[in-house]
Amino acid sequence: MMRALLRRPAAMLGLSLVTLHILVAIAAPWIAPFAPTSLLDVPLEPPNAIYWLGTDDLGRDAFSRLLWGGRVAMLVAFAAGVVAVLGGTLLGLAAAWRRGIFDDVVMRLVEMKLAVPTILFVAIFVTGFGQSVPVLIVAVGIIQMMGVVRTTRAAGIVLMEQGYVRAAQLNGESGPVIILRELLPNVADLMAVEFALRASSALLLVSALSFLGLGISPPTPDWGLMVEDGMALLESEPALVLAPALCIASLVLGINLAAEGLADALGLDAARGGGG
Amino acid sequence: MIVLLLRRVALSVVTLFLLASFIFFATEVLPGDALDVSLSADELAMMSPEVLARRKTELGLDRPILERYLGFMGGLVTFDLGRTIITRAPVADIVAMPLRNSVALAGMTLLLALPVALAIAMAAAQAKGRALDNAVSGAAIIGYSIPEFVTGLLLIAVFAVWWPIFPATITASTDDPLSVLLAAAPLAIATTIIGSIAYLGRILRVGLIEVMAADFVERLHLSGIPRWRILWLHALPAAMIPGLSAAALYAAALVSGVVVVELVFAYPGIGAELVRAVTRREVHVVQAIALAAAVCVVLFNLLADLGIAALDPRTRR
Repeated sequence: MMRALLRRPAAMLGLSLVTLHILVAIAAPWIAPFAPTSLLDVPLEPPNAIYWLGTDDLGRDAFSRLLWGGRVAMLVAFAAGVVAVLGGTLLGLAAAWRRGIFDDVVMRLVEMKLAVPTILFVAIFVTGFGQSVPVLIVAVGIIQMMGVVRTTRAAGIVLMEQGYVRAAQLNGESGPVIILRELLPNVADLMAVEFALRASSALLLVSALSFLGLGISPPTPDWGLMVEDGMALLESEPALVLAPALCIASLVLGINLAAEGLADALGLDAARGGGG
Repeated sequence: MIVLLLRRVALSVVTLFLLASFIFFATEVLPGDALDVSLSADELAMMSPEVLARRKTELGLDRPILERYLGFMGGLVTFDLGRTIITRAPVADIVAMPLRNSVALAGMTLLLALPVALAIAMAAAQAKGRALDNAVSGAAIIGYSIPEFVTGLLLIAVFAVWWPIFPATITASTDDPLSVLLAAAPLAIATTIIGSIAYLGRILRVGLIEVMAADFVERLHLSGIPRWRILWLHALPAAMIPGLSAAALYAAALVSGVVVVELVFAYPGIGAELVRAVTRREVHVVQAIALAAAVCVVLFNLLADLGIAALDPRTRR
């Protein structure tokens, strides 16, 4: 599988982008020249040798904030991706195994998701439960889960017809055993691709929410927040906006390229149109 | 056909009913109640228990949850969305004009993006696997990897700051006629269109390639009809079906995109209203906006489904 990925230049580019962003996020406390929230008493300094990207209106070093700015968003996106893939796969496979009314209810939930814009879904949660990282992870995870349910259920229905699953059923194996031992290992490839796709759209969603002021709260350094803060200064200090914007776009692009390559290498179809 | 129609309408009503219930319970039931979350801790500490109790009675928050839920659902049936907590203004008045403006922006986007996306997808499908197709796929991946607010800011940077031919933000007000509003928003419309083309073009390309691989296309091909002719005269009508389902799937994502783009350009739509309502914890306004958006998406999905049913001979039987 790794070799198949290595042969795809676009996928390798994507993988390198993601790896770079993750390494920077992990190393940020050691490599950032300044603390991301310390006020340095030099507001709106243009980019120079000391402050590589200048300082923002509160006098914080923009480059240090940039290095820190992906940490929380990535944490939320990856955690939401895990929630979505684990929950969605179990629900999807259970629906494929059980069918009947349970399946109908699950599919209704999935269809309901299609009618709720993701940003509104999270806004509803934030209104009810307050604005915090755990709330974000759960809300983003649940909305992403519905897409996973759809694909894993479809895969599960095909698997249920296979001889070995039939045999296990005739052996009188229980539902959980069939789902976990017979179905789950066979959707591992699909889960990997789904994880990448969900993480990338979760990241887009979290950045957009932070930009709107409904996601990660200040003073946490975050790319979406930095774009929002710097918007008024676009004319005088474009680096304050363009640098974090470029970071978000390159990370999402990286994940998407890697996901596409992975899906291609595994013979799955990534262009089913999730997102939203 | 009639049965199908009734079935689809009934399913839409069920979906909306479930969504309304979800919106109510997620916003009002779980931690505290609407009044507590709409007040800050300081305000809450300043209020005497009697005043607080009176406010709760006024707002009907002292009633049991089931009764409030029934009241909420009853209100929806009679189009009564309640009043705001702080100013006691009718929620419907606050939401109506911004909703109109957002629907106009979304409608304009779809109207302009669908034909372009279709044309690009056709060109890519015709050149499947060759340079043009790869270029289109690459551009689509880049297109949907860039968040709308970043696209919007890039457009502002280029067309409003460095080469100032368009205004950066919209100066038209909420109640202006739609023609004035949309004319004042060229960059906002361009932003939503770019995102839409990337998303729709990608799904349409897959749909078209699937159609082109169908048996009837193979047969036409074998009888010597040129590929472009098959694509335009035979595959395109068949591809209207995946096109409509793509548009239907996209409706919810479009609303999310519109919300963000409105904030970037200060467009007076539900996006700005939503953010204001969430930060002030105006629960009823959040509910109304969420519901309005859900109704729009469900209606659009219903129309798309009916369109598909009308086009697809297999569902007509």
